[in-house]
Amino acid sequence: MDQQDTKPHRWGMAIDLDRCTGCEACVAACHAENNLPLSTPDSAAKGRAFHWIRIDRYYEGAFPDIKVKFMPVLCQQCDEAPCEPVCPVYATYHNAEGLNVQVYNRCVGTRYCANNCPYSVRFFNWFEPVWPEPLTLQLNPDVFVRPVGVMEKCTFCSQRIKRAELEAKQESRSLRDGEVQPACVQSCPAEAMVFGDLNDPASRVSRLAQSGRATRFMEDLGTQPKVFYLKRGE
Amino acid sequence: MERRSFFKIIGTASGGMLTGACGNKARQIIPLLVPEREIITGAEEWHPSVCRECGAGCGTIVRVMEAERKTRQGNENVRERIAAIKKIEGNPLDPVSGGRLCARGQAAVQALYHPDRIRGPLKRVGARGEGRFEPVTWDSALEIAASAVKKAVDKDPARIVFLTRPEASNRSAAVASFLRALGAPPASTTGLCDFEIERQAAEVVFGWRGLPVYEIQDADYVLSLGADFLGGWVSPVFYARRFGHMRRGRPGRRGQLTHAESRFSITGSSADRWLPVRPGGELALALAVGYVLVTGNLALANVAAGLRNGFASVDFERAVKISGLPAEQLRQVARDLGRSESPVVMAGASVVQSNSLDAVIAASALNLLLGRIGSKGGVIPPVEASIAEFADSRAHTVNLLRRLESAELVMLDSANPVYAQPASAKLLARAPAIVSFSAFIDDSSAYADLILPDHASLESAAVVVPDVTPDRALTGAQPFVHPLYDTRATEQVLAELSKILGRALKIDTPEDAFRKLFAGNKSDWSDAGEFAKYCNRQGGWWTESSRSAHASPRFELPQLREAEFQGGAAEFPLNFVPYPALQFGDGSGAHLPWLQELPDPASSAMWGLPVEIDPKTASRIGLKNGQMVRMISPSGQIEAPAYVHPAAIPGVVSMAIGQGHTHYGRYASEQGANPLTIAAPLTDPQTGAFAFGATRVRIEKLSQQDRLVQFSAVDREPELHRR
Repeated sequence: MDQQDTKPHRWGMAIDLDRCTGCEACVAACHAENNLPLSTPDSAAKGRAFHWIRIDRYYEGAFPDIKVKFMPVLCQQCDEAPCEPVCPVYATYHNAEGLNVQVYNRCVGTRYCANNCPYSVRFFNWFEPVWPEPLTLQLNPDVFVRPVGVMEKCTFCSQRIKRAELEAKQESRSLRDGEVQPACVQSCPAEAMVFGDLNDPASRVSRLAQSGRATRFMEDLGTQPKVFYLKRGE
Repeated sequence: MERRSFFKIIGTASGGMLTGACGNKARQIIPLLVPEREIITGAEEWHPSVCRECGAGCGTIVRVMEAERKTRQGNENVRERIAAIKKIEGNPLDPVSGGRLCARGQAAVQALYHPDRIRGPLKRVGARGEGRFEPVTWDSALEIAASAVKKAVDKDPARIVFLTRPEASNRSAAVASFLRALGAPPASTTGLCDFEIERQAAEVVFGWRGLPVYEIQDADYVLSLGADFLGGWVSPVFYARRFGHMRRGRPGRRGQLTHAESRFSITGSSADRWLPVRPGGELALALAVGYVLVTGNLALANVAAGLRNGFASVDFERAVKISGLPAEQLRQVARDLGRSESPVVMAGASVVQSNSLDAVIAASALNLLLGRIGSKGGVIPPVEASIAEFADSRAHTVNLLRRLESAELVMLDSANPVYAQPASAKLLARAPAIVSFSAFIDDSSAYADLILPDHASLESAAVVVPDVTPDRALTGAQPFVHPLYDTRATEQVLAELSKILGRALKIDTPEDAFRKLFAGNKSDWSDAGEFAKYCNRQGGWWTESSRSAHASPRFELPQLREAEFQGGAAEFPLNFVPYPALQFGDGSGAHLPWLQELPDPASSAMWGLPVEIDPKTASRIGLKNGQMVRMISPSGQIEAPAYVHPAAIPGVVSMAIGQGHTHYGRYASEQGANPLTIAAPLTDPQTGAFAFGATRVRIEKLSQQDRLVQFSAVDREPELHRR
């Protein structure tokens, strides 16, 4: 918990599907930020490609009255996360800021968490990740490179949260709304994604989460996700 | 517009620099080693740059940190600490990107660290197109190149063909002055994604030089006609930002988007209504809508009589038939446009047909009927170029095959004619000399006699005049990492070649460009040097500028006509629409692994692109996802996996451009098929632009099932798979 703040943060995200164009800038941003292992045509064919954030497509209707709904799906950072109780070694747990975090050096690779995740956002390292030289020069030193045998997933860019918190602490102030932006949120050309503190009722994300358009993905499962989707308009 | 605080960008030193991991801040960050947050106490610096992946010219900032480079020198593994680029984001000060960036722009860092970059000058040893080269020194490479240039100049300088990127920049200016000095014709582009049709139409309809700027962020109703502006059209980040604002940036006011295109692009997906116009029917659609506007008294009263009469005399029934859309739908669009407070029509040709110029002219003219020139939420002229010399030197589309036919010397700068128009391969094979400046051995460089490799764009100094911008802009990049290999900036190589040939060539550095800008403008700065430094530090110069919203329409409305297609409908029953994909553009993004594994927006395909076929046609042929098909056109045939696209127009098959490179590094070579291989060799008669949508095909089912790798596929399309 940050000492400057009276209350812990509770990080959440709002994604406005009326703005989202499905352009996948967020997907590329996530790869650039988080050292996701490169897939190959072979590994992808075996279902071993990594995308912590993906765009789901829902086609509705039939030609010519057809619509597609794009929906960026990332770890929903559930308050009641189905992945957490099944981990035998507490590698996946809930931290003080409500983040559903993965401790890589505790993970023993049972993959129970991925089996129990209804959103299919967890990825297992079946092999040691390989970057042909000199692609390793691009790797982000703020983010761990996950070894073989370890589960990984979206962290809400916890390294960025930490960096911003440290900077605020050094300047003896609280974090400003919008100061922390995960890579996906930062890149989004249509500004469809908003990140912030759900404990701060004045934050943009809190206000969007309260708007009439907000829904949560499969919330009937009782997972209490902290990602809010704002419905498309007419 | 919200702009991020900009304190993290610090001054840019020219040349390489090393960031230390022992700055003040780093020392204060003691062991906060919370397991879930692997914070490493590295110091980061952000420097401004400009994206060169397409012609949009987005201003960027790049994150530079210390990294360890591993190389082998002799028998030893050597590790050295260098400054490395970690990430690219949009520059929040830049009016084009506004701090945002598309997937291609972000992946550009992989072009810098790509394992298959050319490491020094190369001389061909294999046959043309084979791609076998041996290293040569720069001295001998320059000598060979200079003698090739001299030979061509002595024979006929008019037969020097210089192909370059679609960009107005210090590069285009250097290329132009190099060619001028030789007495050679101006450089040209390969004709994919350089929007020559849109440029010509703006000149014809409005008398404007450059691409119009659509103010959709203030519009209530947008009709985009053939412009996939959220995908690969013109300036996707710029227009996506404006689209977001149009939708939800104005409380209580949500703009409507109607999109007409003959495939279900991501713009169509984001639209409220998609008009599935027949390929080549865009002209008919524009004329029909104009007809309803004029005859239904929805147009302005003071429209020029010629234009009004032109639209009024359109054969509406025939136009409706050609467009392939219900008449009532077209009437409704016209009514919506006419009744909206601030409508605008975006006119484009993402997929070029043989009548695209006429279509873009007619669609642009709808804005005249609606009185939307220069008004809020309408269409405004391009700003006056910040540096005219750069804008004037921008390469134009020509009839590529005709130019190459008589070429004495072909020079390739980030241009890949063999991929863009595969028919050019046999012309390159017999060209007397080919010199390439490519950073990769690509399809066309494989034909080159000599490769004088350019730096990666992140290692180069550059100044770019963006294609579409609300403000006068000049966006610049400094090289702030050392070149990894023995490469040279192409501007510099052109200057060296000129010197050997006894001609002087002046090359503008970004600093020179900003000094020029200072001389041409009144500003608060007292000193040109200080001004240039300031521009370098913030990544460019952007300034509000007045523009005359005057349009001088002196043109005849094009006559209704159908587009031409190669192939008879009996033998080739399907229309074929190859399209620039948002991840690969004209195909030049295919060498980057992040883009290869980026799931395709339509099919979610990774590491390969399928043929998109409508469900009815697919079930008639007996196709399901991943079934291999052969597509046959009068010009050739290709094989690719099928994707049954629920929103494809019956009878229209489409395929994204990007795969099927013969050579382009390990991630793109020999992957999939190039749809342009079977495209008809038709061109737009006025611009010479390749009409790559003018093909008809037939499809044969092959016995094998190829792997179509979809990231989010079956389980997320229950509707489709029940059908």
